Amino acid sequence: MNNPFENAPPSAATTTFADPFAADTAPRSEALVFSGRGGEYFGIWIVNLLLTVLTLGIYSAWAKVRRLQYFHRHTTLGGAAFDYHGDPRAILKGRVIGFLLLLGYNISFEVSPLLGFLVLGLLAAAMPVLLMRSLRFRALNTSWRGLRFGFDGDQRGAYKAFLMWPLLSVFTLYLLAPMWHQRMKRYQLDNARFGATRFEFTASVSAFYRMYGVLLLLLVAGVAAIGGTVALVLGAAGDRREAMALLPLIMLAGWVGLFLLISPYLTARLQNLVWNNTRLGAHRFESHARARTLYAITLTNLIAIVCTLGFFAPFAAIRTARYRIESVTLVSAGPLDDFVAGQKQAVSATGEETADIFDVDIAL
Amino acid sequence: MSTSPSEALTVAALYFDGHSARAWPATLSLDGDALLLAAEGLSRRAPLATLRLSEPMGAAPRLITFDDGAHAEVRDHAALARLLGASGQRDRLTVRSAFDLRMVAGALALLVIVLWGAARYGLPWAAEVAAPRVPEAVVAGLSRQTLELIDEHMLAPSRLDEDAQSRLRGVLAGRTTLPHALVFRHGGAVGANAFALPDGTLVVTDELVELAGDDERVMAVLMHELGHVEGRHGMRMLLQGSAVALFMTWYAGDVSSVIAMAPTALIQSGYSRDMEREADDYAAAALRAQGRSPALLADMLQRLSESAERGRKDGAGWLDSHPDSAQRIERLRDRS
Repeated sequence: MNNPFENAPPSAATTTFADPFAADTAPRSEALVFSGRGGEYFGIWIVNLLLTVLTLGIYSAWAKVRRLQYFHRHTTLGGAAFDYHGDPRAILKGRVIGFLLLLGYNISFEVSPLLGFLVLGLLAAAMPVLLMRSLRFRALNTSWRGLRFGFDGDQRGAYKAFLMWPLLSVFTLYLLAPMWHQRMKRYQLDNARFGATRFEFTASVSAFYRMYGVLLLLLVAGVAAIGGTVALVLGAAGDRREAMALLPLIMLAGWVGLFLLISPYLTARLQNLVWNNTRLGAHRFESHARARTLYAITLTNLIAIVCTLGFFAPFAAIRTARYRIESVTLVSAGPLDDFVAGQKQAVSATGEETADIFDVDIAL
Repeated sequence: MSTSPSEALTVAALYFDGHSARAWPATLSLDGDALLLAAEGLSRRAPLATLRLSEPMGAAPRLITFDDGAHAEVRDHAALARLLGASGQRDRLTVRSAFDLRMVAGALALLVIVLWGAARYGLPWAAEVAAPRVPEAVVAGLSRQTLELIDEHMLAPSRLDEDAQSRLRGVLAGRTTLPHALVFRHGGAVGANAFALPDGTLVVTDELVELAGDDERVMAVLMHELGHVEGRHGMRMLLQGSAVALFMTWYAGDVSSVIAMAPTALIQSGYSRDMEREADDYAAAALRAQGRSPALLADMLQRLSESAERGRKDGAGWLDSHPDSAQRIERLRDRS
């Protein structure tokens, strides 16, 4: 058989899988490989930024498509890259809707509280449907090996995951928040499919409670440490006026500290929890992202971004993506060639999803 | 069969038919104006015009998509470049620019220039156009919220007696036709200060009334503040500040908390020098129209700056947000 990588330049993407097309049936691990590079992505990022500024934000939709295409196409599994097909016009429409909703919400409270609550109610009623459509848009516009992903979640499920559970968690003083998170992930993944093959989400509620339990301990320790520092600084400042002037700075530092404390832990643990408990047909996934590595990456990213006035941001995005993506492995139960297209896709012969035109895309 | 040199060019690819995940190792070659794809037990020919070629993104594979949704994934970029060269195709400019070092440097320089130009000229102009179009209800709501915020964190109820307050209100009502509301507060740490909210609410601290010594000097300061109201300076600065905040939060990747910050931004945003000059000119014209001298305002500026020198505790406030006072005092004295 012809080796398609015969002439390819040596890179991580080409050395990991010696023979990805052998039709053996033994379980085998296929690592996800990410080949994006910071310097390269910087070029896309800066051109995106320039055109977005020049067009007063309108180009941001096209920018998003190019950004996602860069990350998708640099992610390789089983010898083939992922791809993103989102229509920038649909994304622009979503952004305009999102901006108007936000603006309407904020202005309505300025006009009168009654109008404000009315708009808030409308927003709460519309949000689950918008989120459902956004999940559908994202899935339908992602492909691997020529097959599209899909999302079949219904409105009933969306209202439960994005309205009922958040309300219940608020009314129970967030005691039910871990359960809400589990239900949300279950809605996202249990309704997802690749071609005609369904994803199945099996992570238990108790696993989410364990994760949030550790997070709560981290949070208590972090708040105590930050609160103690603030008290010390304020005590040392003595003069009330000077202390007041320092307050915004201290609060900012506190927020950054809390973000640094929580975000890497939650990102790593959640990624592992979700992917170690997700199946795709007979295949399953393994994720072994380590929180302490993500702590190191996040901290150094933040320092470098601040020192370079933000210009390190594209490099930071690549570093984080590489670690998170390459922590995931597909444990295949059979040849990857066997997936087939879903019904919806088979119907539209052009390969272009008509759903795009009516769909909106909102970042989750 | 033709014997053109392009025929010798072949590119290794993986072909996917769009119906299953099966990867077909294939070779691509040119056949006149068409692309020829050959795999084991499969071959297809498509005119170049019907194909879509994804943009180059470093080491990422390039995707050649057929009009039925099938596609070929190419990782041998050198061979594909030779094939493209032979076919006379070129990549779009925006695509090439992202990977050319000179283009990236140019984009970076242009970005800096555009941002500077927008901040210096574009934003103030846009804010000036937009400010009169902000609905009255929004202006009133924002002003009310701002006053509440200031009352909560910076100011205390006035200790000035009712008679003095209503006397000053009466004098001001006789001096201007602009809709306004004069309120008094005790400055405390803020010291001698006066400021205008976008809806015409004028806030004066007890300390400023005391520093002025007589009503005419208070009126001079109030004429200056009315100049800010008339020129919609508060709304303009708020709009500019919001635009900057919107850009910064978008840049940092979170657009949710922008408008919530508006009242805070209003307090923090000092007026620009041009706006101060405009308000001074307005006050000077108003004072002269009332048969009084613009030197009254210059006098007040002098007193504020002297009290600021005596100690930062009581007199600094108004001058903190009003820079270049020496220049302004001179300018006002020239006009009287």
